[in-house]
Amino acid sequence: MKRLRIAYERFTSCSGCQLTLLNCEGELARLAAACDFISFSMASSRADDGGPLDLALVEGSISRPEELGRLLELRRRAGLLAAVGACALSGGVNVLDDRDRSLACARVYGDSARQMNNFPPQPLKRFVKIDLEIAGCPPEEEEYLTTLGALARGGVADLPPYAVCMECRWRENLCLLIEKKLPCLGPVTRAGCRAKCPSFGVVCEGCRGLAAEANLEEGFRLLLEMGLSEREVRALIGRFAGRILENHWS
Amino acid sequence: MKTIGLEPLTRVEGHGRVELDLDRGRLTAVRVALIESPRLFESLVIGRSWQEIPALVCRICAICSSVHRVASAAALERALGVSVPPAARLVRELLVLGGHIESHALHLFCLVLPDILGVESVMALVAGGSAPAREGLELKRLGNRIQEISGGRVIHPINVEVGGILRLPERSRLQGLAEELEAWEGRIVDLLAVFARPQSYPPSSGAIGVPLSVSGGEGLHLFGQGLSLSGRMIASAEYRELLGEEAQPGSHAKSSRGSAGPFLTGALARLRNSGGEERGLPFGIFANNAAQAMELVEALRRARGLTREILALGEDEPLRGEVRVGAGVGTEVIEAPRGLLVHHYVLDDGGRVARADIVTPTAINQEAMAAQILADLQEVTDEALLASRAEQIVRAFDPCISCAVHLVRIR
Repeated sequence: MKRLRIAYERFTSCSGCQLTLLNCEGELARLAAACDFISFSMASSRADDGGPLDLALVEGSISRPEELGRLLELRRRAGLLAAVGACALSGGVNVLDDRDRSLACARVYGDSARQMNNFPPQPLKRFVKIDLEIAGCPPEEEEYLTTLGALARGGVADLPPYAVCMECRWRENLCLLIEKKLPCLGPVTRAGCRAKCPSFGVVCEGCRGLAAEANLEEGFRLLLEMGLSEREVRALIGRFAGRILENHWS
Repeated sequence: MKTIGLEPLTRVEGHGRVELDLDRGRLTAVRVALIESPRLFESLVIGRSWQEIPALVCRICAICSSVHRVASAAALERALGVSVPPAARLVRELLVLGGHIESHALHLFCLVLPDILGVESVMALVAGGSAPAREGLELKRLGNRIQEISGGRVIHPINVEVGGILRLPERSRLQGLAEELEAWEGRIVDLLAVFARPQSYPPSSGAIGVPLSVSGGEGLHLFGQGLSLSGRMIASAEYRELLGEEAQPGSHAKSSRGSAGPFLTGALARLRNSGGEERGLPFGIFANNAAQAMELVEALRRARGLTREILALGEDEPLRGEVRVGAGVGTEVIEAPRGLLVHHYVLDDGGRVARADIVTPTAINQEAMAAQILADLQEVTDEALLASRAEQIVRAFDPCISCAVHLVRIR
């Protein structure tokens, strides 16, 4: 079986997506056997040979011209491009400051902010076609292995389109939203994490982004019913919803 | 005159660049630029409620996520005057230790070991069936498992909120952990021996930088009430005057250029400030790798003790202190794996953030990094060797560059 030629690139992010791949400690040997990482700067000093790629794994949002240039180059070289994690898919925490960016930069960096060349962070799909999505903040180790394993065999993994509630029910969890009246985002969040946070007894924070079938109006109403203010509900759903809320509830 | 630019820096976390100025083939100046994209956490938290902050700022960095989350919760607790129950402190300490173990194991086995064994990556090592690599990865896995058991999730732990923790770790998992930690006792020293040997590293002049760490007694202490600058005690609240931060052109991280600087923070600084034994350690900055190895041994031991203490707790232990919302200021100092981390928040009457300040170890180490490269590579004229040795020196600091851009303006 010929190894997949893979580049893992990271843009504006926390490195959690790359780290999650390296957190598959027990499977690294098998990964190395199936995947030829021709560029993965956190884990390897190997220099990118510039050749065609079977897969480009991309973590992070785009907020600098250099990042955009590299993203376009990877898209050109890669048969498939996978957006990994909330920052790449929707902007994640990078897009939470809606205020004037130059003001924010000046506040943090002072005078030297004038020399900085960066723009409001964008999800990858703003610039390129995305073939695969590996969601989460952080993503799931399982999902990496499923995705890469399928690709190594010439296929594409079938990832769940339903909401986290399904996985919670399969694990026979007490419903935190209905039964414990806690502000859980399970109903509107993409499944694939086996409802690990509600299973731990903690509300889902929606880190995997909105499920394809998410009913935002209903989700919003349920949370308001719990006594949260509109501002609090927006903050909750907004944490990983990217720019969606702006258009939805303006 | 010629300048060599090293970019990307590989086998480090985050995006960095090193520039080497050569005059007639000899190194005359070094600049370290941490070119990670700014994410402006200190700006995005402004106006947000105290409740939202830990879950946001843990996303500054995945490797240091646990320590950021605990530090921010603790700083907010100081600002709000919340008292954290003892059970919560124990679980948080276990969580932070788990992160410490994972980070050091990642650094030593994935980022440094390839240099020692002359390969490009840990993937190459495991593909070749290397036993030390495989065992080192098991140790890394242990650190992750500790974080998952105590924090609820491996990266961006969910069990820590302002006031304390949300639930005690599952007993059966803690018991399994206790057994696993016991089993590691016999293996750990041999596994780490390679990192303590001077022959594992290139020659290095003395480690540059005045050691800066959280203050405390002997041994490994990640939490503390104040700072230690080479043994001199300094109150946490005075961190700004001490560090004297300013923005650096070309770098998205601010540099700490206090009058006492440059500073060195991290495992070697912790060792020095606690009066630990340095004889026989590798020279110069590479002693930091050996110091990390020593900390791993102690961290496992401490984790064992903590696991037993938590197992001894009753089921109805209070886990979270009451929060009374109001204005306040709070500063927490803590040791991240790679050095001193400071979280500082000013809250308004409604408990919303009016100002935030997050000082990270890699930003503190920037000056020392450049100075160390210059000092160590004076006699090296071969450009390829200069490049690879410069990278090895940067790696020895165990930089976490995603964190390093998260500084707050002082003036």
